[in-house]
Amino acid sequence: MIDIKPEIFMPSEEIIDINNLTNEQVALEINNLNLHYGNKQALNNISMKIPKGQVTAFIGPSGCGKSTLLRCINRMNDLIDNCNIDGEINLHGENIYNKHINVAQLRRKVGMVFQRPNPFPKSIYENVVYGLRLIGQKNRRILDEACERALKAAALWDEVKDRIHDSALGLSGGQQQRLVIARAIAIEPEVLLLDEPTSALDPISTLVIEELINDLKEKYTVVIVTHNMQQAARVSDQTAFMYMGDLIEYSDTNTLFTTPAKKKTEDYITGRYG
Amino acid sequence: MTFSAKTFDPRDIKNTLAKWLISAGGVSVLFTLVLIFAYLVWVVKPVFDSASVEPSAKLSIQTANNLAVGVDELREISFTIDNHGVINFYQIEPTDERQAGELLLSKRLIADDEMLQSVYATNVNQYVLVSTTGSVYLVQPSFKAEFIADLRILHPGVYFPLGEDALVIDEEQAVISKLAFAMTEEKAMFVALTDDKRLLKTSLIAEDDFNYDSEFSAEYQLIKDDIDNIDHLAVTPDLTMAVAVVADEVSIYDLEDDWDVPVKAEFQPLANSTDSITAMTLLSGSSSILFGTSAGEVLQYFEVAKANSREFQQIRKFKVSDNLAVSQIYPEQYRKSFYTVSPNGEVGIFYTTSEAMLWQGKLLTNDQQLFAIAPRANAVVIGDNKNIELVTIHNEHPEVTWSALWQEVWYEGYPEPAYIWQSTSGSDDFESKFSLMPISFGTMKAALYAMLFAVPIALAAAVYTAYFMPPALRKTVKPTIELMEALPTVILGFLAGLWLAPLIEEYLPAVFLLLILLPLATFVTAYGWHKTPKNIKLLVPEAFAPIILIPFLLLAGYLSFELSPLLEDSFFGGDMRQFITNDLGINFDQRNALVVGIAMGFAVIPTIFSMAEDAIFSVPKQLTSGSLALGATPWQTLIKVVILTASPGIFSAVMMGLGRAVGETMIVLMATGNTPVMDWSIFQGMRTLSANIAVEMPESEVGSSHYRILFLAAFVLFVFTFIFNTLAEFIRQRLREKYSSL
Repeated sequence: MIDIKPEIFMPSEEIIDINNLTNEQVALEINNLNLHYGNKQALNNISMKIPKGQVTAFIGPSGCGKSTLLRCINRMNDLIDNCNIDGEINLHGENIYNKHINVAQLRRKVGMVFQRPNPFPKSIYENVVYGLRLIGQKNRRILDEACERALKAAALWDEVKDRIHDSALGLSGGQQQRLVIARAIAIEPEVLLLDEPTSALDPISTLVIEELINDLKEKYTVVIVTHNMQQAARVSDQTAFMYMGDLIEYSDTNTLFTTPAKKKTEDYITGRYG
Repeated sequence: MTFSAKTFDPRDIKNTLAKWLISAGGVSVLFTLVLIFAYLVWVVKPVFDSASVEPSAKLSIQTANNLAVGVDELREISFTIDNHGVINFYQIEPTDERQAGELLLSKRLIADDEMLQSVYATNVNQYVLVSTTGSVYLVQPSFKAEFIADLRILHPGVYFPLGEDALVIDEEQAVISKLAFAMTEEKAMFVALTDDKRLLKTSLIAEDDFNYDSEFSAEYQLIKDDIDNIDHLAVTPDLTMAVAVVADEVSIYDLEDDWDVPVKAEFQPLANSTDSITAMTLLSGSSSILFGTSAGEVLQYFEVAKANSREFQQIRKFKVSDNLAVSQIYPEQYRKSFYTVSPNGEVGIFYTTSEAMLWQGKLLTNDQQLFAIAPRANAVVIGDNKNIELVTIHNEHPEVTWSALWQEVWYEGYPEPAYIWQSTSGSDDFESKFSLMPISFGTMKAALYAMLFAVPIALAAAVYTAYFMPPALRKTVKPTIELMEALPTVILGFLAGLWLAPLIEEYLPAVFLLLILLPLATFVTAYGWHKTPKNIKLLVPEAFAPIILIPFLLLAGYLSFELSPLLEDSFFGGDMRQFITNDLGINFDQRNALVVGIAMGFAVIPTIFSMAEDAIFSVPKQLTSGSLALGATPWQTLIKVVILTASPGIFSAVMMGLGRAVGETMIVLMATGNTPVMDWSIFQGMRTLSANIAVEMPESEVGSSHYRILFLAAFVLFVFTFIFNTLAEFIRQRLREKYSSL
C-alpha cells in the first residue's frame, strides 16, 4: 500500500548558489535560446544553468513558454512544423542542436514524462522495457531486472508485481503516470523532464508522484514544469519564473517564493495573475 | 417559472417526434435486411424439397387386356391401348360437359384382322405397336385444344408419324419377339429380334422430313444371326447405338454405319456377382444406360474417355431395395430422373446427377400393372384392366441437392467427377451442371488477387499519408484518393476489359518489369534525395518533396514498356504469351486474374486507404511523442506503437475491402471472361457469384431450378459479405475495447 504522508516535502538541506555553479555541478546549460513558431517568437533569449541532481521547476502563467522550453531540452519541438530554434543547449559541454547529434540518442539521455499518462497499449512489462527493446536488448534476464528496478524506483513495484504481464491500460491514472516514469527511467537517462506530470491526477496520486520526484533527484537531474506554485514550492530546489517567453527570475525555490526580486514574480506568486 | 410536467413545451414534441422518426428509420433498415434474407430463403427453399406424391384421380374402365396406358400433357385425358389395337381416351376430371371416366374416343389402330402382341412406349409419347403377325405401327396420341367461351376443350386423336399402314420391319415378314425403336426428323430406326433368331436393323429414311410428311424409303440390315433371346433391347434417341442385354452380358452395337453393324463394346456389369440384370433403359439424353439388378440396385453406365479409347464405365449405383429385384425402370422424358418399379409395386423416384432418392413408396398393387410417366413428369398413370389411376408428383427441382452443389459430380461424358457450372445449353436433354464451387472459387480468387494488389499499396499509402506526409499535402492527397471511390466501377471494368487486358497481353514482360522497376526507382530516388546537399533540398518546400518521385516513377514505367519487346525477343522467343502457353504449358486468357486483380484492386484501394488512414491518423499524438521521447526513431515508433494501436482500424479496413471485392460485380463481369474454371493461375479468368447472377439472370426461366440456384448464389454471396463484415466489426470491437482507455 502507498504510505501517504500529509507533510510537505522540504527542499534539500544544502542550498547551492545557481549563479556560481562549478562545471561539475551543471547538468544543462541554456545559452541565448530563441524559439519562433513561424513569425511568432515564443522564447526570448533564454539563458540559464540547470544544476545536476536537483529538482528545477519552471513556473509561470499559461502560454509563458515553460513547456516549450522544457521540450527544447530533448528536441521534442523538432516534431512541430514551422518551429525555428537558435541559441544552444549544452549537455556535457556539447550543443544538442549540433547537426551531428543523433536525436534518438539524445532522448535516451534526456527522458520525458508528459502531462497525461500515455502508456502504450501493451502489458506493464512491455511498457517498461520498451526503451531497452528499442536498442535491441533481447536478454530476458536483463529485461526482467531492468523492469523490476525501474518499477521499484517509480514506487510501483509492490502494486503491480503480480500482474506485470497484464495490460497497462488497466492501471489507474496515478499508477499509469508512475509507470510512464518507470518507463522513462528504465533506460537510465541523466535528465528527466516532467511536463506537468500531475495535472491530470487526483490529489492523492499527486502526492505519491511528488514523493517520487523527491526520491528521483538522488539519481537524476529533474526538470519539472508546473502551473501549481505550491507544487513547485514543495518539490523543487530551484525555480524559474517565466512570463511571455522571458525568463523573469531564476533562483533557489525558497528565495523565489519568500523574497522575489522582481515585481512580476511577486504579482504572480501572490495571485494577481496566472 | 414552474417545473410542472403539464407545462406546454414545443421542444417536448420535437424531441418525441425525433425519437420516433429515428427509431422508425433504424427499425425499418433492419427489417428490410431481414426481409431480403427471408425472401432469398423463400425463393431458394423449394430446390431442397424432396419429391411428394399424392393420388389425384381414379377411373373405372371396361376394357380387357390393356397393353399400354398414358396421359396427355395437361393431365386431362388418359388413354389405354388394348390387345385388339384399340385406343380408348377417357376424361379424367369432370367438366361441365364431360363426366369423369367418360369415354371420349375409341379407335382401332391396326388392321381389322390383327391382334397386338406387344406395345413399346418410347420416350417421346409415341407407341410402337407390334402385331402377332409381325406388323408394326407407330402411333402418337394427339390432343387438340379448342377454346369455347374461354373454356379449353381438348379433343383427343391419333397421329401416325410414319403413316397409317403397317410398317415392314422384316423383309421376310417373320414374327417379332423383341423390338426397339427411336427416330429423328430424318430417320426412324428399328432394331428387332425375330422368332427365327435374326437380329435386324431397319432404317426408314425420310424423303423430306418426318415432321411434314411420312414418305420414306427403307433399308434393311442383318445385325447378327442365330440369337435365341434378348432380355432387354434399346436404341439411343440419336440413333447411334443399340444396347442389347443377353444373359447379363451387354453388347453395344454401332448403328451409324450403313453397311455394317459392328459391336462397339461388350461388358458385364455384374461380372463378379451372382446377381442378374432384370431391367435396362436409357436415361434421357442417350448417354447413360441404367441397369436394374436382381439385388435391388440400379447401375448407371456411360462412355468415358480413357487414354486412347472410350469405354463404358459404371458411374453410380442406386440402392432401390434390400431384397427385391428392380422389375422396371422408366426414364423421364426431359430430365435425368428415373422411376423404378419393384415386384411388390413399390415405386422409387431417383435423380442421377444429384445422386438423390427423391421418393419411395407403394403405388402399384404389383409390377404387372401398367405404368407411365406424364409428359411433363408431374404425374404418373397406373393402369390395369379395370382402373386408371393418376398420381400427381411434385418434383420440381430434382437436380439440386446440397452435395451436388458443393461436391464433385461425375457428369455424363466427363472422364472423372468434377466441379462444373454449366447451367444451360442448346439441347433439351442437356444435363444441368450446378456446382457452386467454381463460382464461389472465382469470387475468392478475384477477391484474393485484388487484395494482393490493393492491400500493400493502400496500407503503404495510408501509413505514409497519415504518419509521414506533411499536413499541407495530406489535406489535398487524402480527399483525392477518396474521390477515386466515386469512380463508377463500370468504367473501371470497361477500361480493364477493353484497354488494360489487351495492353497487358501485348506488354506482358513490362508488367513484371514494373513490379521490379517501380520499387527500385523509389528506393534509388529516396537514396539520391538523402544524399542531395541541403542547400538544394531547401529549394523544394518540404510538402512537395515527394513530388520529385513522380518523374522517376514515370521514367521507370516508360523504361518497362520500352524494354518489354527487347526482353521478349531475348528471353521469351519473341512473344511471352506464346512462350507461356507453348513452353510452360500454362493457359493464357486475355482477361485473366492479373487484369482483374489490378482493376478491382484499384476499386478497393480507396476503401482500404480511407479507413486505414483514419485509423493511423487517429493514434493519439501523446503515444507517438511518448515513444519518440524514449529515444525511438520514427520508424520504430511506427512499427511498435502506431501500427499496433491502429491495428483494429487497419484490420477492419482490409476486411471491408475484402467485402467489397467479394461483392463487386461490374469489374469482374467485364474483365474476367466469365469462364467458370477452378484454377489459381494468374493467367486464367474466373467467374464470380455476382457476375454469374448478372450474366444468367436474364436468361433463366422464372421458377426453374436454374432461377432458384441463381438466388442461392445471391444468398451465398450475401453470406460471404455478411461473414466478412461481421468478422471485421467483431474483431474491431474487441480490439477497440482493448485499446479503449487511451
